Amino acid sequence: MTSHPLRWIALGVGVAVAGLAVVLALQVGDDQLQAQPRSELLGDPAPDFTVTTFDGEEITLESLAGKAVIVNFWNSWCIPCKQEEPALKEFYEQHRDDTDFALVGIVRDDTKGAARKAVGARDIEWPMGTDPGGRAALDFGTRGQPETYAITPDGLVAGTQYGPASVENLETLLATARGQR
Amino acid sequence: VTRRLLPWAGLVLVVAVTLAVVLWPSGDRSDAARARALSEEFRCPECQGLSAADSSAPTARAIRADIRDRVESGQSDAEIRQAMVDRFGESILLRPEGGGLGLVVWGLPVAALALGGAGLALALRRWRREPTMHATAADEALVDQARS
Repeated sequence: MTSHPLRWIALGVGVAVAGLAVVLALQVGDDQLQAQPRSELLGDPAPDFTVTTFDGEEITLESLAGKAVIVNFWNSWCIPCKQEEPALKEFYEQHRDDTDFALVGIVRDDTKGAARKAVGARDIEWPMGTDPGGRAALDFGTRGQPETYAITPDGLVAGTQYGPASVENLETLLATARGQR
Repeated sequence: VTRRLLPWAGLVLVVAVTLAVVLWPSGDRSDAARARALSEEFRCPECQGLSAADSSAPTARAIRADIRDRVESGQSDAEIRQAMVDRFGESILLRPEGGGLGLVVWGLPVAALALGGAGLALALRRWRREPTMHATAADEALVDQARS
């Protein structure tokens, strides 16, 4: 074998090509961004968003300082958002009077008119606001909706839920934001 | 020797000029061109296989606007890339980074090319050294006959 360096070289080329094929085979077909299980923001300061509710009230993260905040990115046409709504309603009913708690809905990828109409028609009672220019959606690094973020009273991102959340998921997020987990 | 090396020198020159043209960053890019080029480097977070430059999804539009703002405020390309990675993770980059898995993706084709080139060079040398025709017994008999 040592007298045939060409064989070694051919073997090296074969190994390199096979290695590349394996790497590509493992990567192709996966949307890595969608498959990413957790937010890059976990443990970091949450982006200071500003949303305007349909009643004209302005909500900023700064204005919610000292509260455990659950931020839910939502829109009127997304089916998983509709699936999530009963859980959000139940969760909100359980905590709406907690003084250390706030739930904020942020409209993502929807028109103001459609979102406003859906909020009225579906009896959504938590504060819901629009996100001009998709700034908050970008700053949170969202990849779709629904997405839910838990923020601690001192403004750190404590948890994330991609896709529809159950009541249990939401309770876990809130407990994490409150430092109970 | 000079005549033999001349084609190789020409080949090296052509490859070097081509690489320089392709890889050399153009110095006088406008802010808009820079923002456009940067947005082509990022994946649209909510659509499969499209860059932020090519998608009309809201987040892609927000990414483009954010890049324009950052370019106008004087941030470097590296700072803008880092800002995107900080939000979305490295998978936002359409081109793999130089470390980790990216090293494998970039390194393996280069290694395969280098090894293949070395193999080809060795094979060419061997083919050049080795005669392509071998004397048969009848040929050798003819030579012996002529010598005697």
